[in-house]
Amino acid sequence: MKLNKVLAMLAVTGMCSVGNAAFAEMMEPTCGASTGKAATGEAIKVGGIHGNAAPGDFSSSTDAAKAYFDCVNANGGIHGRPVDYMVENDQWNPELASQAASKLVVDKAVVAMVGNGSFIEMSVNAPFYKEQNIMAMAAACAVSECFESSNLVSTNQGPLASSVGAAQYAEEELGSKNIACIGLAIPTVGPWSCNEVTRFMEARGKTGSTVLLNPGAPDVNSGLLEAIASGADTIMVNLPAGLGVAMLAVAQEQDLGDAYKWIASTPLYDASVPGALGEYWDGKLFINAELVPFSRDGADNTNWLALMDKYAAKDDPRDTFSQAGYLSARYFTETLMAMDAKDIDDRAKVTTAIKAISGYTSDMTCGPFYVGEADRHMPNHAGVMVVVKDGGFKEVRDCYEYDSPYFAELIETEKKLGLR
Amino acid sequence: MRKTIFSAVLYIIAMAIILGTLTYGRPSAVVGLFLVSGLAVGSLYALGGIGLVVLYRATGILNFANGAVGAFGVMLAWQLGQWGVYAPLTWLAALLAAVLLALGYGRFVAPHLAWRPPVIKAVATLGFALVVLGITGFIWEDDIRSFSLPTDKSAIRVLGLRVTITRLIVIAAALGIVVAIYVFLGRTRIGLQMRALANNRNLSALMGVKIVRVETIAWGISGLISGFTGLMFGDLVRLEPQIITFLVIPSIAAAVCARLDNLMLVLVSGLSIGVIESLLTLSPMLKQVRPTAPFVIAAIILVWHQRNSKINISGDD
Repeated sequence: MKLNKVLAMLAVTGMCSVGNAAFAEMMEPTCGASTGKAATGEAIKVGGIHGNAAPGDFSSSTDAAKAYFDCVNANGGIHGRPVDYMVENDQWNPELASQAASKLVVDKAVVAMVGNGSFIEMSVNAPFYKEQNIMAMAAACAVSECFESSNLVSTNQGPLASSVGAAQYAEEELGSKNIACIGLAIPTVGPWSCNEVTRFMEARGKTGSTVLLNPGAPDVNSGLLEAIASGADTIMVNLPAGLGVAMLAVAQEQDLGDAYKWIASTPLYDASVPGALGEYWDGKLFINAELVPFSRDGADNTNWLALMDKYAAKDDPRDTFSQAGYLSARYFTETLMAMDAKDIDDRAKVTTAIKAISGYTSDMTCGPFYVGEADRHMPNHAGVMVVVKDGGFKEVRDCYEYDSPYFAELIETEKKLGLR
Repeated sequence: MRKTIFSAVLYIIAMAIILGTLTYGRPSAVVGLFLVSGLAVGSLYALGGIGLVVLYRATGILNFANGAVGAFGVMLAWQLGQWGVYAPLTWLAALLAAVLLALGYGRFVAPHLAWRPPVIKAVATLGFALVVLGITGFIWEDDIRSFSLPTDKSAIRVLGLRVTITRLIVIAAALGIVVAIYVFLGRTRIGLQMRALANNRNLSALMGVKIVRVETIAWGISGLISGFTGLMFGDLVRLEPQIITFLVIPSIAAAVCARLDNLMLVLVSGLSIGVIESLLTLSPMLKQVRPTAPFVIAAIILVWHQRNSKINISGDD
């Protein structure tokens, strides 16, 4: 169903003429060694954890990683061997998240974690991954621990970078002087990302404030009123899509669409959002996309859709987390293929190889992917801005790098790695 | 009577102190916005609470499944709307589905628990809520959806806040249901039998009250209110079955404040909880505890009620 929505969006946005997806349907996906022969021999064990239970489903990242590994297994594998990709669901439960990591890392002895997507898993397991000297190449991260840990790296941006990106666009292009960022009242999510928006604005001589909303709060109206009371001229919706749509519905009820500038972080860049919002928000809501639009031409974007068509279930979402899951699996596969065949079952050597990643590129992201030996990893800190338009999205700003004090340390690392 | 007046005066003083403290030093325009916003949310709590108390007074069952039944109804209405069905028919379908679900439980499950303690009856409805929520989640997987009514497009301004006709309908419906249920329970034969049944099931049966018939009607009315509440929650809160299902919790707080008995008090409690919760947002220190407000208020009211008597979920004093 979601694929249909994506395809419909492609048609509406007109961003891609005949359409990347239509082309993807015809092409044969490529992956790994691309030999066309099934891999044989002992499997390489790889793990993945996602969160899937009400009220959210982050499984599209591991769905895409699984599709990629299935493709690799059908195309010569890694050094001729197949990947045994084992996925667990933390169901947003810290205890289950811990058990899942223990099962995969200790009992199954996986060499790495790939495609992880959760609100919970990274917060719980970041110290465990460090202790076990295993790398998690995540794809759907939303908490600070995912970006501020030594053994976690993600292909997606998370709320901090995406929020700063949206704020930067608003400040530079919409003339915003005071941004109220409405985020989730989870310390490692809402305050972490929204406070950085304020720091960004203050660094540019402007002001910002944070409004926190309880995830289960029925009354989003008071959050909106608090944002208004702050004196903001721009309101940022930095919330999961469902809650974000509810917030915008309340703003529509108050007819505030033209009274303020409206911006949002990535969660609202979802094919279902324009339909749920309706015509009222047409041309009014600007959203930061942490990976390039689904419909854009490019080798990886096209290959991702073709690969999903061939190896994933029909109803597996083709969304941002799916793109990021594909990328994590691709980078992991290429890293292992570059290793000596006899070392790929040695977790310590795999961890060293992943940490040595420097400068993988893709048309899906605006910058290079790297890891490095550091306590902070956020390689993806450049993105694209879109606006809700004609029942879909229209790109309003191509790849741009985010500029905030938070990224200074990352930029130094990139300089040392010769990526700048 | 003296006790009632004393309680009313105490309530007014307590609310004045709370509101005065929370709004001290704030511009009246800002306070007005939060006040009206709180009333709007409070009316939702009141509506949910009224649905609970109506069934409780008629059958002695505290029905935790009201929210889940309403959520199923509004999801069905949304689905039919997606298929292009004429909007009023989708609303009717939501109400009908909620009535059928409530009747199904009331007719085929509840009678088997008739002689069990009230707590077990209440917990059984929680089980029913989880079953309905599970089925709803199975049919409609997690996705971004919205449900709107034509009345969302028209509004009036109250103290600077735009209040849609849908929100006014909720407030009017809460008042209307209170009045209608008062009349129904107080002036009709079935209403009398419901009260008798809730008061003493054994005696009522001995006196010839047709228990199954009376309870079936009560469950039907409860389902109808749940269906209506679900449509309103789906429109005004958000179209997420989980959220709608568990909105029954703050609604229970409103019902408990009214000792699961007095419908007018449910209305006042729901509105008061909504207003206090909204105004807590103005306090930098207390805004983090907003979600707990309904339960803290309910706990305080329970303790106040208990000063002279006992109260528990069975309603035994």
